[in-house]
Amino acid sequence: MPHRRLHPGRPFLVLGLVLGAWLVVPTIVKRFLRISFFELQAPVSLSASYVRDLQDYWSLRTRSTNELIAAGRDLVRLNASYEATLQQSENLRQQVTRLEALLRLPAVGGYRSEVARVARRDFNGWWQRLTVRKGRNYGITVGSPVIFSGGIVGKVAEVNATLSVIDLISSPGVRIAATLDGDTRPLSYQGGENPAFGPAVGIAEYVPTDASASPTSPKRLVTSGLGGVFPPGLTIGEIVRLETSTDGLFKTGEVRLDPRLTELNEVTILVPLSPN
Amino acid sequence: MRRSSLLFLTLLVLWALIAQANHELAPLRFSLFAGGLFVVFAALRMDRGEGLTAVFAAGLLHDAVSPVPFGTHALLFTAAHAFVYHVRHRVHREETLVGVLAALLSNLGIFLVLSFLVGRDLPGGVDPWPRLIADLLASQLALAIITPWFLVLQRRVLGWAGQPPFRTEHRA
Repeated sequence: MPHRRLHPGRPFLVLGLVLGAWLVVPTIVKRFLRISFFELQAPVSLSASYVRDLQDYWSLRTRSTNELIAAGRDLVRLNASYEATLQQSENLRQQVTRLEALLRLPAVGGYRSEVARVARRDFNGWWQRLTVRKGRNYGITVGSPVIFSGGIVGKVAEVNATLSVIDLISSPGVRIAATLDGDTRPLSYQGGENPAFGPAVGIAEYVPTDASASPTSPKRLVTSGLGGVFPPGLTIGEIVRLETSTDGLFKTGEVRLDPRLTELNEVTILVPLSPN
Repeated sequence: MRRSSLLFLTLLVLWALIAQANHELAPLRFSLFAGGLFVVFAALRMDRGEGLTAVFAAGLLHDAVSPVPFGTHALLFTAAHAFVYHVRHRVHREETLVGVLAALLSNLGIFLVLSFLVGRDLPGGVDPWPRLIADLLASQLALAIITPWFLVLQRRVLGWAGQPPFRTEHRA
């Protein structure tokens, strides 16, 4: 059969038709497609994550008994210190409840902790995201703060059936109301640059002019609790450099983030107990 | 339709592999982008409709897991498909080297357009380009290495399923 030669502009005509058709597709159809494609890849991400866990398990099985005994001993010490902290927290909680009743203050909204394994890390120059192995099946809600032992990880951006997506604090679009440790004046934190082979940095804005920081004497940046998303006092990072902004009213600084953020295998999602 | 589904299956495998590579590379602070590789086989060696369907679906798969307006990757992949399809009759499209070059050029184009589109929404004072250039260089290098393998994989999968890609003579 003789080969039929296509008109040279035909592929671009098809491209224009696809573009035009996509523009008129209703939003509800796009939303349905987005959810469908996300759920299509979910088993792939989940199974890869479970395979990694299995690899870790078998690599741990190769450890000697002495190493396991040492690890167990360390764990016992850690548990003892956590138990002491738990008792302290319980006393503080009771005090807060008593004071709230005495002063007739509205109760502070609480959180439920949900520990989740990281299924996928997606860190590039455009965005920084984690996918974790818990979703609607564990009652995760969009906007919930996510933490780890070093402070804040980010907040939940999307919740699906079995997976949730977290926007990291190093992601350029993320903004958090913050304050300097030991200070009450609010300032703003936003995710900044993520250089290759180097630690991520954030940007602190609206820092009071009397504040100072340098790489040798960094200032700890914590959440202020304003905005209601993050509880107050959680570590964001350390301000290592401050410069007066162009208007001279505030200072702008560079925030060094915890380098462990890129290696996280497990995070804790703080699910608000009351939806508001 | 069957060929489209099979091709999409191979693209899903590629997506999973790239996602796992990026997961492991995250602590080193660089990532791989292989958008061009999702397009090249379909554009060079497949019937237009079938190839376009698979490429568009692969783009939607990328969109579903990315914080970009839904359809961005799909339309970029479709555009790259149109460009490669447009020139395929002028090249020896069965040759691996042509496939590698097409993948590299498509990847470069998609990456740059995506960078400009996403870059518009970045806050002031953030310069993502040093990182993006490092990612792009690493991606192009990785692509040059894996494209020959992936092209053979796609051809074999279609062959095993008794659905070989169409073969047409290149234009003199």
